[in-house]
Amino acid sequence: MDMSLILELSVNGVFVGLMYALVAAGLVLIYKTSGIANLAQGALAMMGAYVIWAISAQMGAPMWLAIPLGLVVMFGAGILTERLALRRMIGQPVIMVIMLTIGMEIMLRGVLPGIFGAAVKKLDVGIPNDPLFLGDILINRATMVGGLISLGLVALAIVFFNSRLGILMRAVSDDQTASWSVGIRVERAIAIAWGLSAVMATTAGVLWGATQGVDWSLSLLLIKALAIAILGGLDSIPGVLIAGVLVGLAESLATGFLDPIVGGGTRDVVASTIILVTLLLRPHGLFGREHIERV
Amino acid sequence: MSVTRRTLLTSAAAAALAAQFRIDPAAAQEKVIRFSMPQDFTKIYTFVTSEYNQGQRDYISLVNARGGINGYTIAADVSDHGNDLPRAIEAFERAKSQGAVLVDPLSTPVARALTPRALADKINLITAFSGRSDAADGTVFPYVFPLSPNYWTQIALLVDYFRQQSGDLKGKKICFVHIDTPFGKEPLPVLKRLQEKLGFELSTFPYTPPGNDQSAIWPQVRRARPDWIVFWGAGVGQTVALTEVIRNGLPLNKVSSSVWLSESDMDVVGRSQAAGVLKIEPCASGRAPKLIQEILKEVVEPGKGAGPTEKVGTAYYNYGVMLASLMVEGVRQAFARAPQGPISGEWLNAGLTSITNFDAQGLIPPTTVTKEDHQGGGKARIARWDGAKFVPVTDWFTAYSDVVWEVIRESAAEFQKSGK
Amino acid sequence: MFYRRAGLLHTRYQDERQLWPFAFDRGLVGCVCLVLVVAPFLFERLYLVTYLLPWIIWSTAALGLNLLMGGAGQVHLGYGAVIGIGAYASVHMLRAGIPLEIAMLGGGLASAIVGCLFGAAALRVKGLYLAMATLAMQYMVDFIISHFEIISGGTQATLQVPPVRFLGVPLSSDAAAYYFALGVCVVVTLFLLNVKRTSFGRALAAVREKDYAAAVIGVDSFRFKLLAFWVSSFIGGVVGCVLAVSYYRAISPDQFHIDLSIQLVAMVIVGGLGSVLGSFFGAALILFAPIVLNHLVGLIADLAGLPISADLRAHLPLMLYGAMIMGFLLWEPLGLAKIYNNTRNYFLVWPFRHAR
Repeated sequence: MDMSLILELSVNGVFVGLMYALVAAGLVLIYKTSGIANLAQGALAMMGAYVIWAISAQMGAPMWLAIPLGLVVMFGAGILTERLALRRMIGQPVIMVIMLTIGMEIMLRGVLPGIFGAAVKKLDVGIPNDPLFLGDILINRATMVGGLISLGLVALAIVFFNSRLGILMRAVSDDQTASWSVGIRVERAIAIAWGLSAVMATTAGVLWGATQGVDWSLSLLLIKALAIAILGGLDSIPGVLIAGVLVGLAESLATGFLDPIVGGGTRDVVASTIILVTLLLRPHGLFGREHIERV
Repeated sequence: MSVTRRTLLTSAAAAALAAQFRIDPAAAQEKVIRFSMPQDFTKIYTFVTSEYNQGQRDYISLVNARGGINGYTIAADVSDHGNDLPRAIEAFERAKSQGAVLVDPLSTPVARALTPRALADKINLITAFSGRSDAADGTVFPYVFPLSPNYWTQIALLVDYFRQQSGDLKGKKICFVHIDTPFGKEPLPVLKRLQEKLGFELSTFPYTPPGNDQSAIWPQVRRARPDWIVFWGAGVGQTVALTEVIRNGLPLNKVSSSVWLSESDMDVVGRSQAAGVLKIEPCASGRAPKLIQEILKEVVEPGKGAGPTEKVGTAYYNYGVMLASLMVEGVRQAFARAPQGPISGEWLNAGLTSITNFDAQGLIPPTTVTKEDHQGGGKARIARWDGAKFVPVTDWFTAYSDVVWEVIRESAAEFQKSGK
Repeated sequence: MFYRRAGLLHTRYQDERQLWPFAFDRGLVGCVCLVLVVAPFLFERLYLVTYLLPWIIWSTAALGLNLLMGGAGQVHLGYGAVIGIGAYASVHMLRAGIPLEIAMLGGGLASAIVGCLFGAAALRVKGLYLAMATLAMQYMVDFIISHFEIISGGTQATLQVPPVRFLGVPLSSDAAAYYFALGVCVVVTLFLLNVKRTSFGRALAAVREKDYAAAVIGVDSFRFKLLAFWVSSFIGGVVGCVLAVSYYRAISPDQFHIDLSIQLVAMVIVGGLGSVLGSFFGAALILFAPIVLNHLVGLIADLAGLPISADLRAHLPLMLYGAMIMGFLLWEPLGLAKIYNNTRNYFLVWPFRHAR
């Protein structure tokens, strides 16, 4: 197959992967502080996109105002979720927490289309659709802008973890009881992690909403985000970036090379294979810390 | 505390159960013909269903407001099956026990699962734009009615339109981009036979359902330098495909889809940006047709419309009106043949199979349903989006029915062989 | 009051070890069994075919999953795929002319073999990671079933189930199909009721509590984890066969998607992890809540004449369904079985309040 197609698929794959990485970063943020995998992360992205669509299209606010407003609302929603639902689950078996977030996902998938209508919504953030050619290679503007913004945000998250608040949160993730004993407010740290994670989900929701329209299918971002988070290591933010690029590349190239051979869309299977292979060969991911269990 | 909560839960459960077992004795004595419409409002079809269903209910309101048929009114039981089979089967059996003569599930997986039941229980299963394409063969599927051009007919129509435009398809390249589900793969057998017959090149590109990310597909389509492009999906996959066509700078006037493209999709893509794209119209769109005008005057203006007024006259709304008008025409024909009933699935079946040259006052192509042909002739037309509305570019026509029927008969024969 | 426990003295160990030591419980079980047996003559066809039959089948499936999740403590988000494998394997065998009795076991075996592959992941990872691994496998099985036309059955991707006989009785009538499903359900239920009293069940419990600790006391945790996957997948495969033969009658790939897996996990959790009775409760609630809520919402909207939009009306059941799962986890994590037990404990000593 010709090189320029490979190059084109790779470039677009990297950008798409970075956009997935933003959803995965939210997952990692929550896992890092509280040890919970939030399977409603995709639904949170969907919710964020719906909220911003509602503020801009239904209330008539301009987009530059709608996005910050939506982020604030979603930060609050994230904190509320933690306070009302997840905090009560401390000490319960893993499967209970997984199921709780699945229940939340189902509920959000009903609430938002129910209130705002099931039709696909247009979320116009002002990225033009005209093709952008670099020589023979087409760059998808929407994914390029989305990928770069995601890159910036995940980088910001890495910086954040080196700030004072970030260090507090890292302490919490290391050992909750020990952090407690030195005077760190563990609940507050976890609540902030949920709020920030909802904010990340919202930005991802907006970026994806701008490329595909806003509807329930935004919640399907979850499976890709899981693949990335697991490949990168569930507790590593830099891992998310690298794994995002890898998953994006793998999916994009698989669509180019595997699809014609298999005669079917292999995108989701690629994500599943990555999850499975990672778990079997290196369960803690590329950059995650190895978890040692004590009896 | 725990006792009160428990009582609360128990009484809620009891209330729910009581509602379940409530059987409506009054309904049996009234002069009512029951249509059951369990459809998917929440899972895959979502807004398609709401618009389609709105059209159906508005048309039925129109018929009822005019005094019904033969003194009978039509009751439409609408429920949501969410593309979930236990729920759909429950709705089907409930419809049957309440004496419904017709079930319209508007969902391919549900229609496929209900087919054996409909055949065994003699209830007319309407599978418009969904379900098994081979159900067009009425000899094998006596109680399944697509009543609309099936996907095999649709793809044949498109290929014929391409042939008319290009003069000759020999050596031309057609790209078929489809959702990777049985529904998306359905046109392939007919496409392959037409390829042998007409000598065009065919490339197919499956995308993962529901198709919210197709960024790796379209660069390949662009590089294949196709003469014609067909994209075949539903819901979000359609708008994403169209957006990617624009982003890749492909010529929109060479791009077409099936019947599943509507004004709502264009709103998402951008109305003026999408100008030029083609679709198949099984019925006229817009508010111009006489029947839609009548609905506006007699149902919507008095405030009895089933949904938002701005949706009246959109593509899927009109599909709903089309199907409802065909169903009601079936009832009329049934009364013409057996005025005294008894009203049953068999009774309506005789009516549906004697619809002759019915055009719903110009809304749909002249449709004749026979015992053999359940898709009603397979006529439709090609329409082009001009930035504000769909403008027909051909007259009603049908194409390659020999090839299509060959595939239908083969597939139906296989069903017959394996089923019983 | 009902239980009349006062003065109940067991004089033999067997008496105390029986499944239901109280006469009242035995009577209750007997009554339920009797109702289930005469159900085809008792209920309208609608309720038999669309409520009782799926409830029996889904309960059997939930029991199979509960053995794994409640019994051995292994998370499984791909049980729908396991059921699908059993359904496809058995229907293909039936179409090849193999009698149902063998095809059912064949379906179970096929599922058990593939299920052990799922289990292989459990040897390496556990908890959250195992959930992810099984989720990934669910997607892969979906893909394989729907993309090989040999498996899925051609362009229409629908496999008809040919007319079958079980032990000489044709399963074409509703009652026969129902009794077939009920029979399988009874066998599985009896197995699960008794498994806790076998060395196998106790080994599973040890692995569930702590696999290292189990290894220390001489329980081979790898072997028992795999065995748990084997047995539970076998049950899943048999359920798949029952589902195809007596309920769906035509199978297609989308019947065994991730939604089914999540539904089953929800049944197990809402019902109560590790509880046989809970599986039945959970299956009833999760299976029928959307249907009942749908009717209820429609009824209320019609009665009260509420001007709610079609979209909202259609999505309300989904919201309530999600909220219900969350509600159970937050307020009664041990599920419906625990609620039943609380009630039972209350009446055990009624009118006194010594139960706690």
